[in-house]
Amino acid sequence: MKPVRLWFKKDGLAVYISHLDMNRCMTRAVRRADIPLWYTEGFNPHPYMTFLMPLPLGQAGLKEPLDIRIEGEMTFGEIKKRLNSVMPEGIEIVDVAKPEHKPNEIAAAEYEIDVWFENAGEAEGFSAGAKAIIDSGVLNAEKRSKKGIKTVNLCELVKKFEISSSENRVFIKTILAAGNTVNLNAELLLSSLLSEFSAEDVDRNIVRTRLLREDLSIFE
Amino acid sequence: MYPKELERFLLKVQKPGRYTGGELNSVVKDKNSVDIRYAFCFPDTYEIGMSHLGMKILYSLVNAREDAWCERVFAPWTDMEDVLRENNIPLYGLESGDAIKDFDILGFTMQYELSYTNVLNMLDLAGLPVRAKDRTALTPIVIAGGACVCNAEPIAEFFDITLPGDGEEVTNELIDLLKEYKAKGATKQEFLAAAAQIKGVYVPSLYNVEYNEDNTVKSVTPSCGAPEKVEKRNVADLDSMFSPTEFVVPFLEVVHDRTTVEIFRGCIRGCRFCQAGFLNRPLRRKSPETVEAQCKAICDSTGYDEISLCSLSTSDYKGLEKLITNMLPWTIEQKINIALPSLRADNFPKELMEQLNAVRRSGLTFAPEAGTQRLRDVINKNITEEEVLTTAAQAFAGGWTAVKLYFMIGLPTETQEDIEGIANLAQAVVDEFYKNPDKPKGKGVNVSISVASLVPKPFTPFQWEPQDKPDVLIDKQNYLISCVKTRKVTVSRHVPWTSFLEGVFARGDRRLADVIETAWRKGCKFDGWAECLKPEVWEESFKENGIDPYFYTARRREYDEILPWDHMDYGVTKKFLMNENVKAHKGETTASCREKCAGCGANRLNGGVCDETRKTVV
Repeated sequence: MKPVRLWFKKDGLAVYISHLDMNRCMTRAVRRADIPLWYTEGFNPHPYMTFLMPLPLGQAGLKEPLDIRIEGEMTFGEIKKRLNSVMPEGIEIVDVAKPEHKPNEIAAAEYEIDVWFENAGEAEGFSAGAKAIIDSGVLNAEKRSKKGIKTVNLCELVKKFEISSSENRVFIKTILAAGNTVNLNAELLLSSLLSEFSAEDVDRNIVRTRLLREDLSIFE
Repeated sequence: MYPKELERFLLKVQKPGRYTGGELNSVVKDKNSVDIRYAFCFPDTYEIGMSHLGMKILYSLVNAREDAWCERVFAPWTDMEDVLRENNIPLYGLESGDAIKDFDILGFTMQYELSYTNVLNMLDLAGLPVRAKDRTALTPIVIAGGACVCNAEPIAEFFDITLPGDGEEVTNELIDLLKEYKAKGATKQEFLAAAAQIKGVYVPSLYNVEYNEDNTVKSVTPSCGAPEKVEKRNVADLDSMFSPTEFVVPFLEVVHDRTTVEIFRGCIRGCRFCQAGFLNRPLRRKSPETVEAQCKAICDSTGYDEISLCSLSTSDYKGLEKLITNMLPWTIEQKINIALPSLRADNFPKELMEQLNAVRRSGLTFAPEAGTQRLRDVINKNITEEEVLTTAAQAFAGGWTAVKLYFMIGLPTETQEDIEGIANLAQAVVDEFYKNPDKPKGKGVNVSISVASLVPKPFTPFQWEPQDKPDVLIDKQNYLISCVKTRKVTVSRHVPWTSFLEGVFARGDRRLADVIETAWRKGCKFDGWAECLKPEVWEESFKENGIDPYFYTARRREYDEILPWDHMDYGVTKKFLMNENVKAHKGETTASCREKCAGCGANRLNGGVCDETRKTVV
């Protein structure tokens, strides 16, 4: 039994696949690819498969980790080749590697966000205003968790925030707390900022580009 | 792929995966390289439609042709419907995102009477008139198949063509004909007249229906050379019949998401309430070799870890043990579970059950259908209480702690005693659990009984029977609940009003078209969904059109009455059904086709052959 970390890209049509559905989708892909998966030994054996950081519905990810365990020998190159030949549209295996870090070392995630406004003026206004809010260090929002709803200062979970505008578009590059203990969904940050400008309805595109550790080095 | 303008709304509706397409094995072609574009329309949600085997077969069959492209269309849920209507986005095919109003054929599958309003809604969302006569261009031709079209009369005004029987062969013939008529610039009328000459094609507009003063049918007269009787289409050989090797694999969780392979069509049992058992006669069997090869191919192309061997009564398949024994080595190795729906309690070997549970244990369900032996004889469900109890005891000995039992109420000749019998049988199953000396410690037993209401259907021996009114069914349900004395038995019930509406359409005639359209215009859709059904709107719609719905349900029909579906020929003779009806009232059973051929007449459609009585079958 050997642990293997799959890194996949999820974009295009695949952003509409929910996390639960992703689980089923990847299990089937691994079965189609005939990868010698290791199965749990319980009453209902199932393949060992763990998504380290579920991606919210509607967001794309460039390099998302998925841990599996295999039995027997198969090279990483072979695993990648086989999986990519059976993947549905929008999901691609970009790398297969030995897990370097433990899942709980994920502490942050980097995002690139595009927002489309009606016109250049609105885009510019939002860009400057959002920066001021983040710089002020206070942006309260209601955050749902398993324990219920509580008000959180989102700024405390923002590790880096760059924003600029060009014509009617706003471009954000940001690093947010991520992981099992504290996590900030990029959509929550964005919609909280947008609601300050009554612009909740604008079109947006959120891409998670990579996962980071506490010291902001790359999670591998 | 959805239309571009829909993108910004997708995250605002429930389950956007219903509307995006792009699933594994979905077929995308170049629209300029095909002659015929076919929209396979399922008049219910994605999750239900994607579980339907017929759609998978016909989707692959049409797409196997180079000159045609088949796409899938499902009824959008109400939130998506609002988005489509508000933004003037016409209903589209999931594969291309193109508006289906520009397709050549819209093919609906009609499995359930309560999806009729969804057909109208989908045509309207597509931007098409709902009535066939108002769609004057040659294309799109709107067609329907499936069990409900054995009596297509209530929906005859909406469809150009219906296809009674098996769809595998007639679909290709119809596409060929449309391609030819399209190329020569023919009119819709010319095409329909020619289509009516194909065996298994019914063109409702070519039949004129007249009524008697008492509202019963007086006559049905064909025109333009259409046949007097429309014979259902019958595929003779299931081994050479087209069968898909790939299924579209949904991302969303759907009702049945697994490899499904049919093992035979038809049924040897002759339960008198069961429409499928009569519509699909004669029995035609697929060989174990073909079944196994198809299972393997689909598992390979999908990655599914469950196989369902499907039929109306799976344990009646000759060679089931051999088939499963052959399949077990590779299915166990690949951790694939084999599910056998529709097992009977009387003929399934215990050893086989144990082997099947090598991978995953599934639930255990029996369908005694009635509570007393007398009533089981009336409905010809030839299964005894002893058989149910023996199988239950075996299951409990094997470690099961939950059993599901299916029953029906509203059966002909039913008395209070029969309803008490349901509770008694459930209690006897509970008792069986406590008789088991090795029962698991600290675990109770749960017997859940599901109680449906009989809806008498065309082409069954009960097609002449009155159906209980909703208030009578409610009384019977309440009486049953009062008879259940233990919390180890849980009862789930059907909504009687749903069965009532189903009954109206099942045995209805053409005059119901106005009622359906009125109800739809008043907002009825998804009538099969309890949260969407609007009984008061339906009652209003019946009233406005001067139709008494109980005329269709509550009345005993005379044997010599012309039934609205009498011009359809499903093989089984009316005389046979009448004789079965007489025997039901006498409480006499009819042996299964395996014991003795009952002479139903269906083999006439199959060159005189019925696989059950054919000597060559091993």
